[in-house]
Amino acid sequence: MIGWGIKGKSVLRQLWRFLTSLKTSAWAGLFFCVAGAVGSVVMGRYPELFADMDAQVFAGWFARKGFADPAPTLWLYGLLLATALFAVNAACCTFERLAQIFRGTATMRRLLPHVMHLAFLGVVLSHLVSAVYGDRIPGVAVPQGGFAPVGGTGWVLRLDRFDAVMAPEGYPIDFSATVTLFRDTTPVARGVVRTNEPLFHEGYGIYIKNFGTTPWGAPYAVFDANRDPGATAILAASLLFTAANLLYLFPSRRADA
Amino acid sequence: MEGAHLILFWLALAAYGAEAGFRLVGVAPASAWRSPLFAGVLLHAAFLGMRWGLSGHAPMAGLFESLTVFSFSCAVAGLILCRSEETAAAWKPISVLVLLPQAGAALIDKRMTPLYPALDTPWFASHVGLSFLGYGFFAAGLALGIVYLRDGGDVVYRAAGRSALYGFSAFSAGMVCGGIWAYYAWGSYWIWTPKEIWSVIVWIYFATLTHLKFIPSQEGWPGWTKRLEMGATAAGYGVVLLTFLGVSLLLRSSHSF
Repeated sequence: MIGWGIKGKSVLRQLWRFLTSLKTSAWAGLFFCVAGAVGSVVMGRYPELFADMDAQVFAGWFARKGFADPAPTLWLYGLLLATALFAVNAACCTFERLAQIFRGTATMRRLLPHVMHLAFLGVVLSHLVSAVYGDRIPGVAVPQGGFAPVGGTGWVLRLDRFDAVMAPEGYPIDFSATVTLFRDTTPVARGVVRTNEPLFHEGYGIYIKNFGTTPWGAPYAVFDANRDPGATAILAASLLFTAANLLYLFPSRRADA
Repeated sequence: MEGAHLILFWLALAAYGAEAGFRLVGVAPASAWRSPLFAGVLLHAAFLGMRWGLSGHAPMAGLFESLTVFSFSCAVAGLILCRSEETAAAWKPISVLVLLPQAGAALIDKRMTPLYPALDTPWFASHVGLSFLGYGFFAAGLALGIVYLRDGGDVVYRAAGRSALYGFSAFSAGMVCGGIWAYYAWGSYWIWTPKEIWSVIVWIYFATLTHLKFIPSQEGWPGWTKRLEMGATAAGYGVVLLTFLGVSLLLRSSHSF
């Protein structure tokens, strides 16, 4: 029993060493790069499989296609595995360093790379939240003055007015849509949607994607409604990463990192 | 005026050509600040500034503008990193790395095109500008990596390390700007295209690279980790080229010029 206990501790120590090792992060990085490179080629070879990847959240797409057709999606398993290993490696490395700082064997100056680790973990975990709990409602087409339901949200979108400024050559310089969002018959949000300026309501963003003219001559616009519950946290974590990264560029803060 | 600004482009190309020619035949200027390349950078900056003013948007849309900004970024990164006597040997490869994209741009249609509405945002200039600044540092890393692998030297090693760190920092900030822009323009900070995947590959590659120097040297192979790091720094330029040009020209991606 004592022998098993010692052996168990030794295995745990080896596992911890593996999880905190820089070599592990180097191999995970290499593995990620190879899997991603393969994926970028495979995506072009199987357009029928990957074309709708952005039309729904990743977890839903992967549950439907990743498990049903594992061979062409094998690279995605590789990406997920490498990302998970990276995240665990960064978490363990930072935990170890924080313990050293707490014990007084390391200085606060060594903390910046670990702020970057924590920010990276924030991005990964927030993206996981978006990939599982997000929502994608593509292709909500509404003629001017008309209404269209917005997926399963219970909202109805009305296109009050559509405006487009066209160049003499025929391409659009600017286009905008004045819309009203209804729940039952009550308006709950109203605004102008244009490229780079969506309308946000209760976590959803309403984006204008396309426009045209109906056969009877009325203008119409096509909208996407997306919800990314992790987006704000990703933004905060990304800004934290950037701030720590900029501070890290000062050599005095980089020493002994 | 529209044609006149191109004279600055050609003069910058001539200056870069002179620099590369002198360097290749073994003639070195007294300092980087008194070199044809520095004159080229000034002319190039004036060209980009004029084009920005004339077109009304950052000159970073389309293949011509991308290539010429890439060349400019390489020159600026070289001037930042290779100012000492010890790093002077890196100017030979850098001068070629600056000249090639500018010469490539010279072969392409230079007409100013109107900006697609989605690109008409400050996030466009910040995302593309910071990404190209990162690419410039990675190009300088190739030159410094080659010099280190051939001649060694601590100053060159440190400069090459800074190229990866500065490039990674600029590229990371560019990715953050790109994510914010994509969230407002397309409804998601992430879409599955080969360009996005390769951008993350570049990020992971250089994140891993900046960690390599902290891996302790192996007994019996004392210089191995430094040489590996420098080899990887040089090879990183290949990853960058694949991301910048390879994906756009070889793979189908909506995120291309």
